[in-house]
Amino acid sequence: MRTVWFLLEKEVRQLRRNRSLLGLLLVAPIMQLVLLSFAANYEIKNLNLAVVDQDHSPAARRLLNQFQYTPYFRLVQTRPTSRAAEQDLLDGRADLVLVIPPQFERDLVRGGRARVQLLVNALDNVKAGLASSYASSIVQAYQGEGRPATVAATVSEVRGLEVVPAYWYNPLLNYKTFMVPGILVEIISLIVMMVATLNIVREKEIGTIEQLNVTPIRKWQFILGKLLPFWVAGLYQFTIGLLLARFLFHVPMVGSVPLLYGIMAVFLAVPLGLGLLISSVSQTQQQALFVSFFFLIIFILLCGLFTPTEYMPAWARAIDRLNPLLYIIDIARRILLKGSTLRDVLTPVLTLLGMAVVVNTLAVWRYRKTSG
Amino acid sequence: MPAVELLNISKSYGTTPAVRDISLAVEAGELFGLIGPDGAGKTTLFRILTTLLLADAGTATVAGHDVVRDFRAIRNVVGYMPGKFSLYPDLTVQENLEFFAAVFRTTVAENYELVKDIYEQLAPFKNRRSGALSGGMKQKLALCCALIHKPQVLLLDEPTTGVDAVSRQEFWHMLGTLKARGITIVVSTPYMDEAALCERVALLQEGQVLRIDTPAALRAAYPWPLYAVRAARMHPLLQDLRAYPAAHSCYAFGEAAHLSLRQPAPDAAARLTAYLTGHGHTGVVVEPVEATIEDTFMDLLAQRQPSPNSAHDQPAQ
Repeated sequence: MRTVWFLLEKEVRQLRRNRSLLGLLLVAPIMQLVLLSFAANYEIKNLNLAVVDQDHSPAARRLLNQFQYTPYFRLVQTRPTSRAAEQDLLDGRADLVLVIPPQFERDLVRGGRARVQLLVNALDNVKAGLASSYASSIVQAYQGEGRPATVAATVSEVRGLEVVPAYWYNPLLNYKTFMVPGILVEIISLIVMMVATLNIVREKEIGTIEQLNVTPIRKWQFILGKLLPFWVAGLYQFTIGLLLARFLFHVPMVGSVPLLYGIMAVFLAVPLGLGLLISSVSQTQQQALFVSFFFLIIFILLCGLFTPTEYMPAWARAIDRLNPLLYIIDIARRILLKGSTLRDVLTPVLTLLGMAVVVNTLAVWRYRKTSG
Repeated sequence: MPAVELLNISKSYGTTPAVRDISLAVEAGELFGLIGPDGAGKTTLFRILTTLLLADAGTATVAGHDVVRDFRAIRNVVGYMPGKFSLYPDLTVQENLEFFAAVFRTTVAENYELVKDIYEQLAPFKNRRSGALSGGMKQKLALCCALIHKPQVLLLDEPTTGVDAVSRQEFWHMLGTLKARGITIVVSTPYMDEAALCERVALLQEGQVLRIDTPAALRAAYPWPLYAVRAARMHPLLQDLRAYPAAHSCYAFGEAAHLSLRQPAPDAAARLTAYLTGHGHTGVVVEPVEATIEDTFMDLLAQRQPSPNSAHDQPAQ
C-alpha cells in the first residue's frame, strides 16, 4: 500500500502542475452543467407564427389572440394569401403558418365546426411536433370556450372518455428536474474517462514508463495509483454538481443522497477503468483518444437522455445493456426524484459493480511491463 | 558466476533481425562496454536484460536471475538508465529522486552515500523541474535515480549521447568511482573513444558480436602498419591515399587520415611523403601511430562478409 501512496503523491503533484488538466477536471464540469442544463431545453418558446386571416371576423381575431397570449408563439407576419405565408415558411421567417379560411365564423356558428389549417416546418421534427401540439391544444381550448352559448346548446354534446394525465415524480414535467441529474453524470463520465485515457499512454509517449517498468511496482499498484486521483476528482465533481442541482436548478432530492454517493463511487470505476484499459493498450495519445471517443459517443447518445431507449430497435437495446451511463442515469433519477432505496435499484447497481470489476481487472491484466 | 550473461540471444522485430545469436558474459564488478553504431542492437540487449523485452531465442541472466523466470527479482537489483531521458519532466530534481527511492522501498537518506558525489552537483537545481535541466544535468539525475536503490548491476544505455564533452568526461569519471564500489556496470556507447575507458568491450555490428576483449588487446590485435597523415587539404589527401598502391585502407580520423599499409617497410613514411608531395600536397606530415579501437573496429568491419542487411540501418528499438 505504501507504494500506491507514493504513486498517488506523484500523480497529484503532476496534476497540480498541469494547469489546463486541472481546470478541465475542476472547473469545466461545473460550467458545462450550468450551460447545458439551461440550454438543453425541451420546452420551445417564441415559435415564429405567420397568419393568413381570410375571414377577418371577431371569431378569427379571438383565435389569434389565443395564440398571442401564450409564450409559445410570436406573431411575426400577417399575410393575405397562403402562398405568401408559404414563402415565409420556405425562407425560414416562420416556423408555422395558421390559415383561417373565409367563412370561418359562419361555419363555426352554423355547423359548430370550422376548419383552420396549420402548416408546420418539420425540418426539425422535435420542434415541429411541439409546435403542432401546442397549436392544436390552443385551437381545442378555443373550441371549448369560443362557441357562442346559443350555438352550443343546439349541438348535442359528444362527451367521450377524457384523459386527465397526472405526472408522478415530476408533476410539472419540469425538464430541468429530468435532465440535470442525467447531464451531470454524463459530463463526469466524459471527463474522467478522458483524463484516464490520456494518462498511461502519456507516460509511454514521454518514455517514463520505460523507467517505471524496471521497478518493483506491481501492475495493480500502478493502475490503482492512476485510478484513485481521478476517482476523487469525479466525486468532487459530483458533489459540486449535486449542490448546483439542489440550489440552482431546484431538483428535488427525495431519496437518500448518501446512497447515491455510494453508487456513484462504484459507477466511477467503470469509465475510469475503461479509460485506463484503452490507455494501456494504446501506443499514442491520439490513438487512445479516438478509441475513447468511439465509446463515449455511443454511451452518451444511447443513454436515454436524448432519445428514449424504449424506441430503439431490439438489437440496439441489447447492445445498450453494456452502457454504464444507462444504468447510472436511471438510478440517479429514481433515487433523486422517486426516492428509491437500495433494494429498488439493486439490479442496476450490481450490474455497474460487475462492469467495474471486469474493466479494471482487464486494465491490470492488459497493462504490460514486458513486450514480446 | 558472471553478473550478466547472455547465451545465444536472438530477437527480431517483424522480419528485421535486431540481435542475432549473441553470447557474452560480464564479470561481477566489471565495467563492460557495448560498442557499436546506431542500429547495432545495443538498446535491444538492454531491454532484454531489463525484462522489458522478451528474446525470441536464447537465455540471459542478470545477477544470477533468469530474465524470464525471475523478472521480478531483476527489477529489484538492476539500475537502468534508458537511452531516452525517462524521468518525470514535471517533477523537480529532488521529487524525481525521492519518487524512485520510494518505489524501490528505500529512502534517499539510506543510500545517499552512493549518489552523494553526483547529487551534490545537482543540489543547486534540486527544486528545478527535471524537464528544464541541461542535457548533462539530466544524465546525472538519471544516474542518481538509477542508483538510489543500491543496485548490483547498472545498465546504462548510451548515457553520454547528446552530452557535451566536459559532461561526458565527468560522467565516465563517476562510472569509475561506482565501479570502485563494486557495482557491475554495462554501458553502451557509439563513441569509440569511450570504449577505451571500459575494462572490456564487445564490438557490435548489425546485431552480432564482432569481438569481445580488453581495449588494449583490441588495439594490439590490429594487424597492419598504421600511419597518421596530415596535409593542408584533407579531401584530395584522402583520395590520393586511397589510390596509393601500398595502401590497405584509409579513413578520416579527426584532423588526420589513418592509412594502413599492406606490408611493413622501414622507409614507408619517407616514400609516402614523396608520393604525396609529388601529387602537389603541401604541409605533409606522416607519422606512425598506435591503432585505436576505432581502427580495429573498422578493420573488423572490412573483414566481414557484407551481409544482405548491410545496405540500410536497422532501427534501434
